[in-house]
Amino acid sequence: MDASRRKFMKAAAILLVDRWSRSHRYAFGSDSGPSTQKSYPKVIVVTCGGVRQADTILETGLGNIPRLYRELLPQSVFYPFMRNEGVTSHYNTISSVLTGNWQRLDDWGKTPPASPTIFEYVRKRLQMRQEDAWFISSNKALSNQIGASSDREYGPHYGANVIFPKQLLINAVVNAASEGRVAHTADRGAMQQEIETILETNNYEGLGWSASGESSSLDSNTRASVLRAIEDLVHTNAPVTGDEFTFLVSVEVMRRFAPSLVVITFSDVEVAHSGSYSLHLSGIRTIDRLVYELWNEVQANPSYKGRTTVFVLPEFGRDLDGSNTNGFFNHRQNHDSTRLAWMMCLGEAAKPSGVIERPVQHLDLCPTILNLFGVLAPDVSGKFLPEVRV
Amino acid sequence: MSKQNTTGAEKASELETYHRSIQRLPVTLRPSLNQQLAQWGMLFPFEQKQLIGFLGGLDSFSSAALTALTAKLRALEVRMGVDRWNFSETSDTLENASHLARSEYFAEWRGEVQRIFEAIVARAQASAKTDPERNRLILLFLPDNLPVDPTTAWKQWDPQGREIRIAGDSRKLRDLVARGQSDQPGIYDLLDQKGSHDSANLWFIEADARLRDALAPTSVPAASCLSYTVLKPFRNSFLVELNSIPKDMTATDQTVSALREKDWTRWWPSELAGQERLRNFTVNLFLSGNGALIFSNAFVEWAASEALRRARPQAIVACFGMRSKPKPFTGIALFENQERISPLPDVDDPENSAVDAAILARYVWLAAGRYPEYNRAACLCVSEHLNTAYIVAPPEMNLGTSGAPVAPEDIYRWIASWLAS
Repeated sequence: MDASRRKFMKAAAILLVDRWSRSHRYAFGSDSGPSTQKSYPKVIVVTCGGVRQADTILETGLGNIPRLYRELLPQSVFYPFMRNEGVTSHYNTISSVLTGNWQRLDDWGKTPPASPTIFEYVRKRLQMRQEDAWFISSNKALSNQIGASSDREYGPHYGANVIFPKQLLINAVVNAASEGRVAHTADRGAMQQEIETILETNNYEGLGWSASGESSSLDSNTRASVLRAIEDLVHTNAPVTGDEFTFLVSVEVMRRFAPSLVVITFSDVEVAHSGSYSLHLSGIRTIDRLVYELWNEVQANPSYKGRTTVFVLPEFGRDLDGSNTNGFFNHRQNHDSTRLAWMMCLGEAAKPSGVIERPVQHLDLCPTILNLFGVLAPDVSGKFLPEVRV
Repeated sequence: MSKQNTTGAEKASELETYHRSIQRLPVTLRPSLNQQLAQWGMLFPFEQKQLIGFLGGLDSFSSAALTALTAKLRALEVRMGVDRWNFSETSDTLENASHLARSEYFAEWRGEVQRIFEAIVARAQASAKTDPERNRLILLFLPDNLPVDPTTAWKQWDPQGREIRIAGDSRKLRDLVARGQSDQPGIYDLLDQKGSHDSANLWFIEADARLRDALAPTSVPAASCLSYTVLKPFRNSFLVELNSIPKDMTATDQTVSALREKDWTRWWPSELAGQERLRNFTVNLFLSGNGALIFSNAFVEWAASEALRRARPQAIVACFGMRSKPKPFTGIALFENQERISPLPDVDDPENSAVDAAILARYVWLAAGRYPEYNRAACLCVSEHLNTAYIVAPPEMNLGTSGAPVAPEDIYRWIASWLAS
């Protein structure tokens, strides 16, 4: 990504976080930082859509993950056999990861998880504030229902902030293109008006977020810089990815709020559903880079350095070449190619490093994270991973 | 349907009989069979024959025998709570698929369905007349503007196959297939002379329109010709409608149903005039996703795979092509018409198009491998850029076994001979 593109993304990320925090009446002066009332551990979970082992951690795929393989794997606790025994759709899998129980929900996120999420367990038991738990996602297949369960003892009151940064960009571009207005994109004034409309009128609900609050008018200088940047984006031929934007928003959230629990879901690799293998591989390489940059951010950010554990895992694999489900396009085959993923654990709780060849499941992540927070959850089916503990 | 000249009333009566047969099956087996019956006129001859055969096999089960065969599945449906679902018996819907896939009994259900189908198909096959095996052809082209990597091009292909070098200009082979040469007609006339008169028996599927342009005008409607480029007005219009679907399962099923019924006449290319079956195939192709509306190479692969599954043609010729580099927002709003969301001109992405086309060409061959009809198929994948081809064929076919380069004219001679024998 070129410098101007990165600059735009960063500006837009800052704007988003700024806007959210304004609506919640937080001020970000030097005397008013993130919640530090208690010294909780920090946990960051990154899920990366459906990627096959063969395209990542096996010999055939190592070229796609040079940073994960060379830089991060040697210092990690690595589980090469993580199995998804649940419904291999995005909403069900991520809900299962968050709850430690296999979820069987509407694939499009019409209903919340049926059992409490790690956000709810941690927030309720430790009395954390909402800005301490974030779910930041690129994935269009998810909905804001994912941040809290339907369990009456828990629920939205203890849920996470759920935001979909990519949706803002989608809304902006689709709106700009609708009713033939794309023909006016050479007209700076018309385009600025288009984007301003999106930014000013499309409140959180329109973007599918669960962060609620008063809408605030944007700072005019910030708004102008974003408008310029978006217009620039429209007029150049450099690619922009949703994951890049999700990453930048995540980093900005970490800097502003220093939350204890952040779940980030990337989804560029899901272009595979449209049949471009090269773009799917490009998505894997983007994840490799962004996870590496995230790890560097953790090392550079004083709120996170020395107290953070990062988990990186694909949600599942993809179907086998030659399957009647059209191979890499989909992820619904009952086969190791689809069900087997892997997990990399980095940081404070992942010591000593090593490769754990024992099969584990996606469900095991929830109790492992709860253990890091010292929270017990007897109703979780997953098993705590003893290699990842403080 | 068993007779050529059945009247409308006879057909209706026959279909009603088939519907009654389907009603004997457990509820979760009915939607796809009922959907096929409802679209009887849109089915290819192979599908019609297969459906009649299956229902014949079903009818051969006595009531007691069928009850015994399906008892486990019926019990499973009770445990799954199918009667509490909004489960369509008349057609396959997203909602049906979603309910089934989310059930904790899904794997068990799938196993039972397979067992029942296999038992019925075995009965059907026992009483069916066996067609003589025909030589078949799958001819795939990776055009010259795709710089396929010579070190990996054929690495993933069937090791039983072999690479052959092409003497001269491999691009000539496409023209030969379309037009023939002095001593041999093009592939359409070749099959026509052999008595193949149904357009479902020969398919031309391509990203651009080079084959279609090279074909004789009479051959285009007489075969099944689909070009991603030629379909552009229809694709764009279809995509707009598809993007209006809300994120809701029931609404999606309703919209999909409406899109199937919609009159798209003004958007179809002229060469599909009167080809209702092929139009219906195309609508279903686009509704089934898999990128067919988004990327030309995904269109070629998915159309070829569906043609193999549904029509079992004797010959299929598929040409892949170039895709453009993603524009600023195409990675984000991939589902959109790129021309609509960006005024920037398209820029070719040859290297990545080659990566896509190479794996998708192999997928077409793998798709054929799922069907017994292709036990005697020869697959030739030509890389015009490398001037080589990879051939997977029954052992008696000796094209290129000497290791010497083969001229396009000789390759076509071999193709003609293969299809004629």
